[in-house]
Amino acid sequence: MSDWSKFIGLPLWFWLFILPTLISLICLFLQNKIEIIFKPIWKILDKIYFFSGIIAAISMCLILLIIIAQMVTRWTGIIFEGSTEFAGYAMASTSFFALAYALSKGAHIRVSIFLNLNSFTKKWLDIFALFISSIIATFFARYAIKTNFMSEMLNDRTQGQDQIPEAIVYILEMFITSPTNWISMWSNYEGKWIFTPVWIPQLPMSIGTILLAICLWDHLSRLLITNKSEIKSDIVK
Amino acid sequence: MTEILATVIFLFSLFFLLGSSVWVGLSLIGVAWIGIELFTSRPAGDAMITTIWTGASSWTLTALPLFIWMGEILYRTRLSEDMFKGLSPWMRWLPGGLLHTNIAGCTLFAAVSGSSAATLTTVGKMSIPELRKRGYPEYMIIGTLAGAATLGLMIPPSLTLIVYGVSINESITKLFMAGVIPGLILSLLFMLYIVFWYFYFPNERPGAEKSIGIKQMITESKFLLPILALVIIVIGSMYFGWATATEAAAVGVVGALTLAFSQGSLTWKTFSNSLMGATRTSAMIALILMGAAFLSLSMGFTGLPRALANYIDGLNLSPIVLIASLTIFYIILGMFLDGISSVVLTMAIVEPMIRQAGIDVIWFGIFVVVVVEMAQVTPPIGFNLFVLQGMTKHEISYIAKTAIPMVALMVLMVIILVIWPELATWLPDTIRQRGN
Repeated sequence: MSDWSKFIGLPLWFWLFILPTLISLICLFLQNKIEIIFKPIWKILDKIYFFSGIIAAISMCLILLIIIAQMVTRWTGIIFEGSTEFAGYAMASTSFFALAYALSKGAHIRVSIFLNLNSFTKKWLDIFALFISSIIATFFARYAIKTNFMSEMLNDRTQGQDQIPEAIVYILEMFITSPTNWISMWSNYEGKWIFTPVWIPQLPMSIGTILLAICLWDHLSRLLITNKSEIKSDIVK
Repeated sequence: MTEILATVIFLFSLFFLLGSSVWVGLSLIGVAWIGIELFTSRPAGDAMITTIWTGASSWTLTALPLFIWMGEILYRTRLSEDMFKGLSPWMRWLPGGLLHTNIAGCTLFAAVSGSSAATLTTVGKMSIPELRKRGYPEYMIIGTLAGAATLGLMIPPSLTLIVYGVSINESITKLFMAGVIPGLILSLLFMLYIVFWYFYFPNERPGAEKSIGIKQMITESKFLLPILALVIIVIGSMYFGWATATEAAAVGVVGALTLAFSQGSLTWKTFSNSLMGATRTSAMIALILMGAAFLSLSMGFTGLPRALANYIDGLNLSPIVLIASLTIFYIILGMFLDGISSVVLTMAIVEPMIRQAGIDVIWFGIFVVVVVEMAQVTPPIGFNLFVLQGMTKHEISYIAKTAIPMVALMVLMVIILVIWPELATWLPDTIRQRGN
């Protein structure tokens, strides 16, 4: 467990696994007494899931545009370096950003045979499944972020031929450096194109998996408080 | 010894997680996590992300969302009415009459959509009420539709075949081509079943259709032209090597948008609905693929797949026995899991096994698709059953019963594939030569 460094005095696993579990227990015992606190949070979260779904949809359009551009450039003899890598990045962005959105819309599949046995399993098995899923998704998100940070620290570059303007890296780096260092950071800026640092296309992976984990814990709290699942599929109309 | 222990633990945790209705993709991640922690000293999380990232950002996978999107666009057009109108003049002459529109409609829509559920709803939306009105027996309407809709999984573009190709690193174009002839044969078998019904139960035949002139026949079938053109462009461009599978998908999306636009059914609402719908479905499949990638990594660490392949090899089973047992295995699995999940879940184990046994992987892809097609219509979990239940309000058990003859035909298809493997391997071989 050396991998779980301390964060604000307590090991990381406390913040990631124990704390949400405690909150869920509070939800279980207090039920609708605390609904009033959670309601506004649910509203905001629903908007966030939908918004990330929209980003995923835009990424999907990007895949289409990149592939069309690839075909057009091939016919006209212009070279579009790294088009397959860019399409791959857009693909990852589509998948990861849509994870939470798809979950809240009931698009992810599960074996519901025992779930539909009776009203007892309908509630308690669903709670159990949501809890286990939340743990797994949190584990997933934690390592996605770790890998993302490692790629940035080691300055991992793409294996392909894809290049992006250096400015993108600088703008994104501004978020993780303190404003006092911004001037010295930009003084190195040369305005050239560089091989894509892997951490940039990996950002959607971190964001998407965090949202998935939040979405699962969130729906667990909803089920515990309101006693009904809000994950409903609209496939069967 | 550790291998037996590993098998038991993998199987137990898998059934436990899936059974407690944890989402399939997350269950796979969970099982893999347990496996890595127990049987290796490697850091589970880092290995997981490396594998998942490589898989999720791969170029081959980009065909998946685009083909889903293409199907979603067409699903929201006036296509289902047009298809019924266009097909019925041709089908009314066949023994069995308009029931054949179920099969022909599914075959045609399967060629532009990779999903069985979309095929089912698009065709059923129109054909169920029309066929009922004309007095065809209910069990024939439902049964043929439930069975034929599974062609969506077989005839290219097929989501199951993309997923299979991505899992075992094989050319998706080749797999698509391999699916064409078996898909057509399967739909022919379904049609023969209707013909058989027509002659065997003459008292169930509805009254004869009023005849129409050849001129009207041609005017009605002009509705079919745009969709036929789209099929030819998408499949043709792959066959002749003008486009990769992904590029063909992009062409398909543009074509579907154009078609919807020319029909006047492309509004902002249908566009955004198709886009968001496709986003959801592709995220669903992507999560399962992520879990499966991690699970095969984890199982690879334990050496289980290789050991099992060696064990099976040591048994000296003939390929026929191996295929027969795999068929039974997949049918049982398919009762609880959907097709895509059962394919990705088993590939880590089954791939070394079939390669060891010298079975052609392209052929095996088609075999697997036929077998998991059955999963769509076998209770208790069968996706087509759910969709049909939503559409017709019949009991699942009734729908499943009507589909039994179609399942039998699919088993027959497996036997045909075993006897004549060239049905699947011939067409992809011809494109290979063209490529050189």
